[in-house]
Amino acid sequence: MSYCVNCGVKLDASLKHCPLCQTPVINPNIVSSVSETPSPYPSSKGQVEVVKRKDLGILLTVVLSTTSLTCFLLNLLVFQGSLWSFLVIGICICLFFFAFPAVIYTKTPIYLSLLADGAAVAVYLYLITFLTASSRWFWQIGLPIVITVVVLVELFTLLARKFSFTFLTGSLYLFVEIPLLCIAIELFICHFTGSPYHITWSAVVLTVCVIIDITLITILTKKRLRNEVRRRFYF
Amino acid sequence: MSGLTHKNDVSQKNKKEIWYKLDLSAIVYPTLQRKDFSSVYRLSVVLKEEIKPDILQEALDMTLQRFPTYKVAIRKGMFWRYLEPNNRPGPFVAPDIKNPCMPMPFKANNRYLLRVYYYGKRISLEAHHCLGDGTGGMCVLQTLTAVYLNLLGHPITPSGFVLDINETPHPEEMEDAYMRYANAKVRPPRPGEKTYRVRGTKEPFYTLNIIDGIMSARAVAAVASKYNATITEYLNAVLLYALLQKQEADCPFRKHPVKIAMPVNLRRFFPSRTLRNFITMVYPSIDPRLGDYTFEEIVIQVHHYMHYYINEKFLRGDITTNAATQRNPIIRIVPLFIKDFVVRTFYTKVQDKNSSAGLTNMGALKVPEEMKPFIERFDIYMGQPFSSRTNCAIISFEDILTINFASSIVETDVERYFFCKLVEDGIVVNIESNRNTDEGKQI
Repeated sequence: MSYCVNCGVKLDASLKHCPLCQTPVINPNIVSSVSETPSPYPSSKGQVEVVKRKDLGILLTVVLSTTSLTCFLLNLLVFQGSLWSFLVIGICICLFFFAFPAVIYTKTPIYLSLLADGAAVAVYLYLITFLTASSRWFWQIGLPIVITVVVLVELFTLLARKFSFTFLTGSLYLFVEIPLLCIAIELFICHFTGSPYHITWSAVVLTVCVIIDITLITILTKKRLRNEVRRRFYF
Repeated sequence: MSGLTHKNDVSQKNKKEIWYKLDLSAIVYPTLQRKDFSSVYRLSVVLKEEIKPDILQEALDMTLQRFPTYKVAIRKGMFWRYLEPNNRPGPFVAPDIKNPCMPMPFKANNRYLLRVYYYGKRISLEAHHCLGDGTGGMCVLQTLTAVYLNLLGHPITPSGFVLDINETPHPEEMEDAYMRYANAKVRPPRPGEKTYRVRGTKEPFYTLNIIDGIMSARAVAAVASKYNATITEYLNAVLLYALLQKQEADCPFRKHPVKIAMPVNLRRFFPSRTLRNFITMVYPSIDPRLGDYTFEEIVIQVHHYMHYYINEKFLRGDITTNAATQRNPIIRIVPLFIKDFVVRTFYTKVQDKNSSAGLTNMGALKVPEEMKPFIERFDIYMGQPFSSRTNCAIISFEDILTINFASSIVETDVERYFFCKLVEDGIVVNIESNRNTDEGKQI
């Protein structure tokens, strides 16, 4: 058994470093015994048991599919004025895909589930076209916006998972993506209305976001500044 | 008001209908449950012989029948959560793990809210705080140990924390004792001051760093008496001193008071046999904005604080304040999900910021005379802290006093300042840790 030369505490024979100050234990007399002494703690890590939500998954699937089917039959046989049941069916599809990764298959990769969510929303919008005079709005505005949002959300997720994710970096990713979305929306509107492609209101959003982005990048690159901000905004 | 509700008395036929309301403290703990956090504490006993898992399992099965409020599952009602008897198979003893007090999802582990582990000569009991406090848990652990030793052929006479497993549980063991004593004429306001918070690098999910300091209880008592303080007061002062040093080293833009959240066992002041939660928090503190405190001044401050606040009158007022919310008829009819949201927000924004660290002292443990020769020591861990800070738990048995730090941050500054102060005062501290000894410099 050795003492830490830095802290003065007596260290358990299994410890190779003082856990308080990380000073290595160097005892020339008992070099070999350190590795032989078993730790008073086990080495294997425990895992929380995965909770099976099978029952909830079954219930959700049954409720949503029954709602869709009964509404469709009601629409087909009783209230035949318009295809209103498509709205209900679309909502059920969306709810199913939103709940799928949380309830039915928890191991679904996040990118895939986001893609599926986007596809479900696109299908819902497409079903609405059966209730409108034309489907042009869907192809020229609805679908492109959904695709852009899905791409940007996937990109945000990728950045958050691959790089460090703090309050500051998260804000930076967000303020980079907001103007991109606004510009895309404005261009889709121009395309839909047939007016020439130019940006107006989204340019204002872009300017504000560029200022915020430059400020955030400056804070992130200067360690001293970053620490100052952390201290001042500590809550 | 009794925590135990018998819809139909002890008739075997209607046994399923017995359910238990959560006690006043227990209401909060499930609300704070997250995917990566549960209010779980751990109690361990180190025996002098290797543990036999099959005998331990048998002992556990026999013991839990005696503790109906521990053999339960938690369920959600419209307005409150409640506990109902759990007759599913289990809980099963398991080999111990490196990361104790890991989250305890309510629906996992066959819905049991306790786990029992074994490792070498150690038996560990982990229980969700909604079942009971450290005293209740210690009763379960000591009874389990006594039954285990009994099965090994060492008869133990039940006394103190060891209960007779053939006895019918006394209704008082299952009561919500808060409600019996929450009858002060005034409700003192809750302290709500922003305090210094230890900031550190969060460890990855499933990591709980443990540093145990093992020392002579007599040596600590001798040092404490030099400062005219009790062991609890002295160790509280050492922790405050460590936190002050840490704050100083952080060079903060603005200093904050340093405060410790310390649970007080109310059974000492209000007689009750309850095995459920019966604790309240006191907050000894030092405000460095008033000037630089010497260690001696901190001890004096803590000593007077304890004498002023830890007495029957103040504690009764405190539990009356806490009980007032639960008694309010308007709050009672608010749906559970709204209550959850409000309680979680209040805890995160106010309660959690109200203290810089947690410290609990179980005191000197007594065991039946026949058990003494088989026991080496006890350990207690307050579990994973809700925010990035460190929790300190103290327990002593015979001459061995164990101070267990549990934290989920990489930095060990508070622990280092704490143990260095003890060493400075001439106490020999023996350190054990589950931190990865191969990694070396982590910070």
